[in-house]
Amino acid sequence: MILKELLSQKGLIMQSPKAEEIKEGVKFVDKPIKIFYGETYDEYGNTLDSMKYYFFVDNIAQSLKQEGYETDPIIMVADIAACRNVSPHLHKKYMDLGQERVKFIEKIKKIYNLNLRIIKMSDYIEKKEFQEKIKKVEDICKKDPSLMKMVEKTVPESKIELERKKGFAYSFDEITTILNLNIKIGPPRENLYDNIAREIAKREKSKPLISIYLTPAFPLGVDYDFFIAHEGIEEHGITAYKAGSKRLQSFRIIIGKTTKVEAKKLIEKSFLSANPKLPNPVLDVGIISEMARKRLEGEDTPITLYDNFYNGRISPKKLKESIYNSLCTNILNKLQ
Amino acid sequence: MNIQEIAKKEHEEKLKLASEDRQYYADKMKEFGLKPMDRFLKYLPNPSTNMKKGITFAHKDFEIITKAMANKEPWAVVSGLNPSGPLHFGHKQVFDELLWMQQQGADVYIPITNDESYVVDKAKSLAESRRIAYEQVIPSIIAMGFNPKKTHIFVDSDYLDIYNVAMDVSKKTTLNKAFKIFGFNQTEKEENPGTMFYRSAVQIAQILLPQYPEFGGPKPVVVPVGIDQHPYIVLSRDVALKKSFIPPAELVMRFLPGLKGPGTKMSASVVGSSIYLTDSIEVAKQKIEKAYTGGSVSAEFQRKHGGVPEICPIFLLLKYHFLNKEQSDKLYLEYKGGKILNRELKERAFEYVSKYLKKHQTEMKKAKRKIDKFILKKEIKSILRE
Repeated sequence: MILKELLSQKGLIMQSPKAEEIKEGVKFVDKPIKIFYGETYDEYGNTLDSMKYYFFVDNIAQSLKQEGYETDPIIMVADIAACRNVSPHLHKKYMDLGQERVKFIEKIKKIYNLNLRIIKMSDYIEKKEFQEKIKKVEDICKKDPSLMKMVEKTVPESKIELERKKGFAYSFDEITTILNLNIKIGPPRENLYDNIAREIAKREKSKPLISIYLTPAFPLGVDYDFFIAHEGIEEHGITAYKAGSKRLQSFRIIIGKTTKVEAKKLIEKSFLSANPKLPNPVLDVGIISEMARKRLEGEDTPITLYDNFYNGRISPKKLKESIYNSLCTNILNKLQ
Repeated sequence: MNIQEIAKKEHEEKLKLASEDRQYYADKMKEFGLKPMDRFLKYLPNPSTNMKKGITFAHKDFEIITKAMANKEPWAVVSGLNPSGPLHFGHKQVFDELLWMQQQGADVYIPITNDESYVVDKAKSLAESRRIAYEQVIPSIIAMGFNPKKTHIFVDSDYLDIYNVAMDVSKKTTLNKAFKIFGFNQTEKEENPGTMFYRSAVQIAQILLPQYPEFGGPKPVVVPVGIDQHPYIVLSRDVALKKSFIPPAELVMRFLPGLKGPGTKMSASVVGSSIYLTDSIEVAKQKIEKAYTGGSVSAEFQRKHGGVPEICPIFLLLKYHFLNKEQSDKLYLEYKGGKILNRELKERAFEYVSKYLKKHQTEMKKAKRKIDKFILKKEIKSILRE
């Protein structure tokens, strides 16, 4: 699939530069082009929503390759960052969970024949080179109140004081990690980090990071009342890669944990509106399942599920049925 | 001043009134911490027409109601009224909202507050307000199409249990709190004690009644109100918490102004301010003809500069009761753009009103036979047990 087609898939891409702008942006960068997606995790398991990013990183790497670019698609498991969010006595457990997440991605990679390089944050964070870089980033930010303000905005207001005491370590790790990348794939809320990285790149006169944001993840098995009560959820959704985001682990499809019966119930009970401006967690499952099917069957064409549903070619009932079947055939049966 | 100058001055005054009206509601929303209805309009599968048209425009905690709606759990709506005269179109807009709520699963509680009518001097005697309740108000409500299984009407002076409930809730608040919430001052001190008991106890009892054990215990309850009634909700929310009930939600509606123009209410005490649902066609016609409008004394001026629909009781009568959102938006633009003048607007209103009155009055006659099915008779014994 050419890059232009890949980026025009509705229901999958939330925000992206145009294909031409991306190609222009990576023209003179050091080869190969680094395409990156990083995630943390929690103790509740591996989400279906994470798979959307694994597939997409592979998809975009393939598209660029077809157009003559050399690529390095990277999935980073942020084990150190995951530990920063939990109390010290859980660090060992969380480092082990990081290893499990790596194994999970390896499995996905193998089953769906994805070309991905998996790295862990702990593999590079202690290295001298990274430590020097992080120091430099901290210095640049601390000297500039406008940048520090942007750093503060990366943490929720309720946690600002706590993070200040920690020297915004989580934020600086993330900014430094993404600084020299070329294309970063992530959920929309990551624009907070990406904008800082771009600002620093501008000051350092280096090539700015290109960000592609995929559609946010939403809980399944909840109706319109949930969305009414959660103001602002449309913009950022819930954290795709953390199953326990907003304590909604029972409303997610967790690979290896959620049974087919549970998945069916979750899909059946999910909010589904014909208004394309509203969250559509069901369609999201359908798109991920389609991405999986296309990899399994070697089909390289755009996903049309969004248009089929919103143009009325498929009814809500039929959509839920077909998505459940696709989820079972292309994901749950393969991974359980 | 010539006619054009008079028209210009009048138009500017009307625009100013419209702007003040908008500002009043915006300020009150901010002051009371009310939220707009936009999320409900986006997500509810079937929002009410009043919500779509911005008539129901703000809320507090209405999320608890949508949660009950989505999960098909019991919930209730309480909306009382004063039987000082027959129902008018100002009342009808509230009952339209109640009907929508009933269709979404609500149990509808309608206290007819003839005790209030009496203590605040809106009725000559308790007996008179009671008679109006049974002869005019209740049949009119039933005629609107409520389901008797999910509608619980009671006339305060006949449903004496409400006073036991009032005693019960009054123990959970203080006069000091009530005075503070209602902003009472010296003037209120001259009122009779019944007024105070009604406002700070009976009214709260009516709002919290659906959460008593006899009605299935704590459940989400919503009260549709005008923005000036917000203090009652504040007090009832406070008492609800102390009784381990769910604090009632509030749905705020803009009320139809009286036919005398902006700042006036549809009221029995102001002659010609309202069209009663019991008015004859001829009377309704006269009232519409005499009504204030958002238009101009000069047709030529109005064609050029347009009317001010926001403060026009006739436009609002059409908008609130007879037009859907699209029709209402179209008429708004036509009237504001000077394409429709007062005469045509009034003719349209009369056409709709007369049809409605004929139908409603026929239904009212049938409704008189059904009153008993709608009257709440359940005894409240839980608060009398030792």
